[in-house]
Amino acid sequence: MQSFTQKIRLKVSRLRQLIVESLLPRESHHIGCSLSILDIVTVLYYSILRTNPKKPSDPDRDIFILSKGHGALAVYAVLYEKGFFSKDILMSYDRDGGKLPEHITHNISGVEVSTGSLGHGLPIGSGFALSFKNDRKDNKVYVLMSDGELNEGSNWESIMFAAHHKLSNLIAIIDLNGYQGYSTTEKVLDLSPLSEKFQSFGWNVHTVDGHNYEDMRLLFQKIQSETNTKPNVVIARTVKGKGIPFFEGKFESHYLSIDEETKKTILTQLQRN
Amino acid sequence: MRNAVINEIYKLMKNDERIYFLTGDLGFHVLEKIEKDFSKRFINVGIAEQNMIGIAAGLALSGKKVYVYSIIPFVTMRCFEQIRDDLCYHDLDVTIIGVGSGLSYGILSGTHFALEDIAILRSLPNMTIFSPADEIEASQGIRAFNNYAHPIYMRIGKSIEPQIYKDSYEFRIGKSVVLKKGKDIVIFTTGSISHEVLKSAHLLKIQNNIDVMVINIHTIKPLEIKRIKEFIKDKKIIVSVEEHGLIGGLGSIILEIFSDNYINRNILRIGTKDHFIKEIGTQAYLRKILHLDANGIYDQIINYLHNEK
Repeated sequence: MQSFTQKIRLKVSRLRQLIVESLLPRESHHIGCSLSILDIVTVLYYSILRTNPKKPSDPDRDIFILSKGHGALAVYAVLYEKGFFSKDILMSYDRDGGKLPEHITHNISGVEVSTGSLGHGLPIGSGFALSFKNDRKDNKVYVLMSDGELNEGSNWESIMFAAHHKLSNLIAIIDLNGYQGYSTTEKVLDLSPLSEKFQSFGWNVHTVDGHNYEDMRLLFQKIQSETNTKPNVVIARTVKGKGIPFFEGKFESHYLSIDEETKKTILTQLQRN
Repeated sequence: MRNAVINEIYKLMKNDERIYFLTGDLGFHVLEKIEKDFSKRFINVGIAEQNMIGIAAGLALSGKKVYVYSIIPFVTMRCFEQIRDDLCYHDLDVTIIGVGSGLSYGILSGTHFALEDIAILRSLPNMTIFSPADEIEASQGIRAFNNYAHPIYMRIGKSIEPQIYKDSYEFRIGKSVVLKKGKDIVIFTTGSISHEVLKSAHLLKIQNNIDVMVINIHTIKPLEIKRIKEFIKDKKIIVSVEEHGLIGGLGSIILEIFSDNYINRNILRIGTKDHFIKEIGTQAYLRKILHLDANGIYDQIINYLHNEK
């Protein structure tokens, strides 16, 4: 029998191909930003989140918000693979007249919230979490954020709010790839000590390798059974551009677009693996 | 006006458990009734307006109807992008109650004035702007907008404003109201300054025998254009009066309507000029020195008529 890790590895491999296939040569960027979260998003959608492609507005669904809206392509690929929309929609990514812009849009099945400006996802997620808590519903709210995004003050307003209102159904995930717009997060505006910051704000803090499927699944399951009343943050160490050597670990993968030839080369390599 | 609005929302909350009320730590001595009776649905989010709008969006996306409350600059300008992205882009059932229209905050001064809010908020798609003249209109509007389910910015005064209406009337979203009939000139106005406008119309009649029509535009956006066209027919001059800057407010809106509809008319636009208010004083004092009280409006119209000749 296939182990969970094997299953997800195969899925991620297929998703990477879909991601590269959907890129618009010489135009699409934010490729590294999508690849760094692909493993997290895949584990969530294939082992944790309650979602239903046939009933995207199911009142019992869990809520997933991509606050780092520039990583949209990872979510689009997963949503397509889960059956939320057809392949021609995925392949319209970034195209003139297409359905999927580079920053995530709620105008497509399966996406709850449009983002793109940073620091919006956690406040909205807090609103969802408060609503579910007051209604005694067990829906969970997952907000995937970037590390650089934590520069935005609105997040810290929300971090205080969620702890104060005991929103234990809220799970923030930080994609800790260590890079932001200009340079490393350490050089631009040092976040450290990040765990201690969240702890002192009254959150349960968890750290995980954001590319280890089994560890992530176990951690998210553990969080679901957590009995205290604190909100949860998962600090996931990731590698920008993960899984494709052309982008992996490279700061430029935030901005870099590729030409048709490079796209073909990468696709051939991915198909070979 | 503020208490009337809160009382009306209280009644709605009593009958509809979907309704949430959020405040940015303001409303002391005003909101306690809501807090006491609907403790779970009354959330003081603290002094954090960006988060407040985001929370409102999350609540609305999960099926709630939400009111958010604070002083106008804090609940509109501080969190403008949240209003655009979270509320308007997603077209959510959230009403922003902004307190302190125009110069309402008087001696609290510049940071608390609201003289640019209409201009910036009307630029947002899906946004509706409701600017009642008094508490009767405010209460009627709250009821009429109850099932509207789109973002609304409600611009209200700070405390007790003079009553314009004697009684309830047939309120309709977007339908401006004839406060006073008249055949010579027409004044378009909005909000609590309508009171000064009515007084200036009275002065024009008794001192100059000018018969003034006064139109209250309570829904600034969307606005029924057809009625505007009717009101300006055969009028010697057209005037707009607002407790707001001249850039982008009511006067600008009417000019845009004229331009878009090939109406070749000028407007005397009365409002605050393109500079910050340095003078200190109550709302009444500031209106007076800025020529926005009844006498000031009267003088500006008389000067305009004089210059036209």
